[in-house]
Amino acid sequence: MSSSHDPMLPGLHLANTGSYPRIGDSLELQILRRATASLDRGERNTADLLDAENEMVRRAIADQLKAGLEVITDGQIRWYDPISHLAAKLANVKIAGLQRYFDTNFYFRQPVISGTPKRSEPLVAKDFSFARNALGHLPTPKNLAGKLSIKPVLTGPYTLAKFSLSAHTGNGAVDPFSSLEERTIAYADALAAEIVELAQIGASVIQIDEPAIIKYPEDWKIFEKAVTKLIAARDKSAAEGSRPELALYVYFHDPAPLYEKLVTVPVDIVGLDFTYNPKLIDLVASAGSPKPLGLGLVDGRNTKLEDAGEVARQIDRLLPKIQRGRAYLNSSCGLEYLPRDRAFAKLELLAKIRAAVVA
Amino acid sequence: MSREKLEHLGLQLPLFPTTSVGSFPKPDYLARARADFAKGKIAADQLRDLERKATTFWIETQEKLGVDVLVDGEMYRGDMVAYFAERLPGFTEGGLVRAYGNRYYHKPIITGDVSWPGPVTVDSWQFAQGLTKKPVKGMLTGAYTIMDWSFNEHYPDRRSTAMALAAVIRKEVEALIAAGCKIIQIDEPALSVRPEELPIALEAMEHTTKDLNAYFITHACYGEFEHIYPGMLDLAVDNFDLEMSNSDLDLLEIFRRHPFTKDISFGVVDVHSHKMEGREAVRRRVESALTILPKEKVWIDPDCGLKTRTVDEAIEKLRLCVEVAKSFRV
Repeated sequence: MSSSHDPMLPGLHLANTGSYPRIGDSLELQILRRATASLDRGERNTADLLDAENEMVRRAIADQLKAGLEVITDGQIRWYDPISHLAAKLANVKIAGLQRYFDTNFYFRQPVISGTPKRSEPLVAKDFSFARNALGHLPTPKNLAGKLSIKPVLTGPYTLAKFSLSAHTGNGAVDPFSSLEERTIAYADALAAEIVELAQIGASVIQIDEPAIIKYPEDWKIFEKAVTKLIAARDKSAAEGSRPELALYVYFHDPAPLYEKLVTVPVDIVGLDFTYNPKLIDLVASAGSPKPLGLGLVDGRNTKLEDAGEVARQIDRLLPKIQRGRAYLNSSCGLEYLPRDRAFAKLELLAKIRAAVVA
Repeated sequence: MSREKLEHLGLQLPLFPTTSVGSFPKPDYLARARADFAKGKIAADQLRDLERKATTFWIETQEKLGVDVLVDGEMYRGDMVAYFAERLPGFTEGGLVRAYGNRYYHKPIITGDVSWPGPVTVDSWQFAQGLTKKPVKGMLTGAYTIMDWSFNEHYPDRRSTAMALAAVIRKEVEALIAAGCKIIQIDEPALSVRPEELPIALEAMEHTTKDLNAYFITHACYGEFEHIYPGMLDLAVDNFDLEMSNSDLDLLEIFRRHPFTKDISFGVVDVHSHKMEGREAVRRRVESALTILPKEKVWIDPDCGLKTRTVDEAIEKLRLCVEVAKSFRV
């Protein structure tokens, strides 16, 4: 692989799909668990928790850097779960009981909407700034100088809405948020404002996770309408001189039935989970892609390490069919579902795969 | 009919039998002892003595509360899958992964052929049953869930993994029956996570329980049952233990459209909330159930295992289940 690793240029770039384990088996990797438990018991305060979160974010970034990634996240270390972390920060949203997150053995807290969800504080913008500063304080490998970026991640409006409930006021008044479309659009407005702020503070790429749309393709029109608002936020930022790329990521289901629609959504990058359908490679190799793809060829849900040569051969088939030859090699989903040692091994595997790619 | 099956097994249970899903909170001394054991500070015998002390406490507590079908409270277990994985050849312990919030568990890795090493749960069941004349449930985790909640580095696909595990769990079921256990709960909380794989879950449970003489319960929770209903009714068990309260009894609407044909252990209290529901609210949940389900088929219990509650909260939630069940018997 000889092309540039600058993530905005043609070539195969190494990226993190989002989350990273917030715990490890050694005591020093359990500071966040201990701080959270101590806070729950009233023995420590929120500043202690913040310190622990900050330290685990630094460690997550350091692991990604060590493995050779160019597009790095903060590991979503501060996230209670992919849904309530964002929804809980919005006005008129309360957080209720636990629900299973897709087909994982991981549970999220379900938001309940009682009025228009409004953004009154940054959702991830502060975390993005912290992560960027943390990255800046780590020694940069020579071959990656000037090529690193921090990618903030947002759960998309459709997925947030799909897993939210309306509070059902029950007083006979019309309840707009019993409509999935109304919930989705309201979340989209809140996220659009976040995109504008992220662009203002320098995010060059923003990942929007919409795993629910490939599980519930019947809601495509609602999804599309919401994404239009996010695109408008990106374009508004562009007009103001700071255009971030939007990367739409889908996982936890087979994206093949929606593939042609997904790659025509006017985002800049589309990330796909290849682990649910072995024929997806044939489909993409045959149909091609009019835009850069995130190639989720490394399973973020299983510890078994893929054969680097085999994955490299798959990429050799795909890369020439992707417009401008720009693609991101990443795990199929965030790596939080793996033990930390295996998650790091998967990151290292990404680099091994790229080294074996010929295209 | 399942009532007849219970009677055939020699079990005379009242209407609205009360039970609990499996786990209870570990008393502080046991939680400390488990941590000490992990650090090598105490011996296995010392830990086992404390586990038995805690088991005795929970058996006595359930008897005092008037629960009808008891559990041992799983004082010797951490996670419901890891417990078996730690004892079955073919598994390697994986590192910690998060379940939710600040809860983590060691997710096992299947690295070789799984096999049955001899009875895994029989000793603890015999100990608990020896403390009471009331029936104590044998508690197992189903093959499909063990497969789904483990990493797999050995078997070629999910079906072959589930079927290999089903053969192992069947041997444990046979061992429990041979020891005298008459009610066996085989938990399948992963049952609904991949609706397209329901046939695998059905096949694995069929292989686990076929032609074996016990009353079988399965517990499933936090899933999208609308996607596997009514097909899930083909699962080879007598009783579905379902989390109903946490989902605002949504499942009843599905049952309205297609009759629920098994016995049901109807979860009437939310186990993930510190809040104690009022007795009337819980009564209303049962009343709602009875608009659709025949009373002969309804058992009463909490939504899920109570291990994440404090000891006092768990006792109060159980007490509420028993009081409400009794109020419907008059």
